[in-house]
Amino acid sequence: MTTMAIQNSTEVLAARKEHNEKIAAHTDKARATWFPWLLLGLFVALPLLQFTGNYNYVIHMILFTACYAVMASGWNILGGFTGYISLGHNVFFAVGAYFAGMIYARMGISTIILAPIAGLLAAALGFVIGKITLKVRGPSFIISSLALVMIARILFDNWEFVGGAAGVALPSTDLPVQWAKLPYYYAFVFMAAFTVWVSYKVKHSKFGMGLRAIASDEIKAESAGIDTRLYKALAFALSAFFVGMAGAVWGEYLTYIRPNIYLIILVSVNMVLMCILGGKGTVAGPVIGAIMIVAFNEFFVATLGASELNILASGLVMALALIFFPLGIVGTLAKHNRLPRFLNWD
Amino acid sequence: MLEVRQLCKHYGGIKAVDQCSFEVEKGTITALIGPNGAGKTTAFNCISRTVPITSGEIYLDGQRIDMLRPHQITRLGLSRTFQISRNLSDMTVLENIICQAQINGWRDFMKPAMPKAEVDKAMGILDFLGITRIAHEDGANLSYGQKKLMDLAALLMSDPKIILLDEPAGGVNPTLLEEIVSHIRILNKQGLTVLIVEHNMELIMRLSHRVIVMAHGSVIANGSPEEVQKDPKVLDAYLGGVDEEAA
Repeated sequence: MTTMAIQNSTEVLAARKEHNEKIAAHTDKARATWFPWLLLGLFVALPLLQFTGNYNYVIHMILFTACYAVMASGWNILGGFTGYISLGHNVFFAVGAYFAGMIYARMGISTIILAPIAGLLAAALGFVIGKITLKVRGPSFIISSLALVMIARILFDNWEFVGGAAGVALPSTDLPVQWAKLPYYYAFVFMAAFTVWVSYKVKHSKFGMGLRAIASDEIKAESAGIDTRLYKALAFALSAFFVGMAGAVWGEYLTYIRPNIYLIILVSVNMVLMCILGGKGTVAGPVIGAIMIVAFNEFFVATLGASELNILASGLVMALALIFFPLGIVGTLAKHNRLPRFLNWD
Repeated sequence: MLEVRQLCKHYGGIKAVDQCSFEVEKGTITALIGPNGAGKTTAFNCISRTVPITSGEIYLDGQRIDMLRPHQITRLGLSRTFQISRNLSDMTVLENIICQAQINGWRDFMKPAMPKAEVDKAMGILDFLGITRIAHEDGANLSYGQKKLMDLAALLMSDPKIILLDEPAGGVNPTLLEEIVSHIRILNKQGLTVLIVEHNMELIMRLSHRVIVMAHGSVIANGSPEEVQKDPKVLDAYLGGVDEEAA
């Protein structure tokens, strides 16, 4: 009798162990790292189309989406992983753009080369600002981030050295029109790939785990031995790095830097919306969100014309998406174990 | 091991902890008891620096810790649980526990979140506490008792020298309570020092080597469970201190 009971319990224990190992193995196998690589390969090869005709529009759309994917993925490190919603990240977009743009205008060094340095500058600024504003959380933090945008806007509007409110025109490239977009196209595609890779690495590191703990319960995280102030500031810096890098190249691509291109709330709201729609806190979410929002906007502008109607339609689609996918597309599907393999980049 | 000297914590005019001094000896189970509002949890919060202290000094192994930040105190080997179980709700139990594994310096920042060695260690702790079955459960889906056990498991992950348990038996069923008691005993036998806040008198008298009684923010009695039980001041504090009120 007793021996049977013992045997039974060892069997139960063995079965449990097996079950646990299966769950662990499942999460490993369900990840589809091949899909982002495939996308990257596809985008690298895509400009070959230019030999067969003029696909500048397609190239522009992918470039634009990639730019937002960089920004949204960067924002996601602070807003998604760490749980601090910032509406002020366009400031780093502007800082990157102005820093690289001014050097480009005066010394002719391409912003694509300057982008990492612009990113580092944005990161340093982000670290300092983070040290100050990350002391508060929730609505207070959101308002402090809005204040940051206003300060930056007033500063750049009145700073004559960088052209004030009128901005600065940057020299455009002298490549033939067919190839003119390509340097920027590749820069953004590779930046997007790099950002996704880093956000994947962060998510699976001790650092990322600490950030998730902070998002969940900051007091608990601190008492678990996590230096929450440092982690938060580093998350802020890292997310500012990517946004700043995107801003640097975007300036040269537009051939114009002006406060009312960068320092408008729409830019930062877009980053937030993309993350929320795609699924904040996931690796694939911001990219999916960027693709969807750019696609919606473009589709409705094309079908409804450039009136207020297209904004209404995009808003409606977004509201509907969030009613059915409250955690974002990727987040909600993953929660119900319905996420298609190719979207699981976590 | 842990020494608290003249600890004060004032919230405006309210003196939650007032001139509180006590000592926890290495290798003992020490209980901190007192009527509601005596300042036990506040004292805990002050020791782990979850709240800033008004004045006083706290020493861990002779090192002053009252000006450190909570994560630094945890790294020095003092870990705590919370009265109302705090856990990281969108992480699994395993992740919750591994979160407590410390990193040493910058190089560890990008180390994989769940290395094999740490997973094995965490599973070992879960096995010791008899809750391996919930390892992959979401932290939010646990019952109250399971959360308490998970808190204890998380504490052990960081190899603490002393643990502070805030009402580990609160809201826990009698069977589980016995389990928790035996776990605490075993851990203590292995050399872990335990400071425990608890309302369950029967449990305190059974489990602890020393009892510190607090009332109105300061220590009113300190001794073995038997001594404390007979102390008239303690009886007063619990039964509504007639002489103090009258004075």
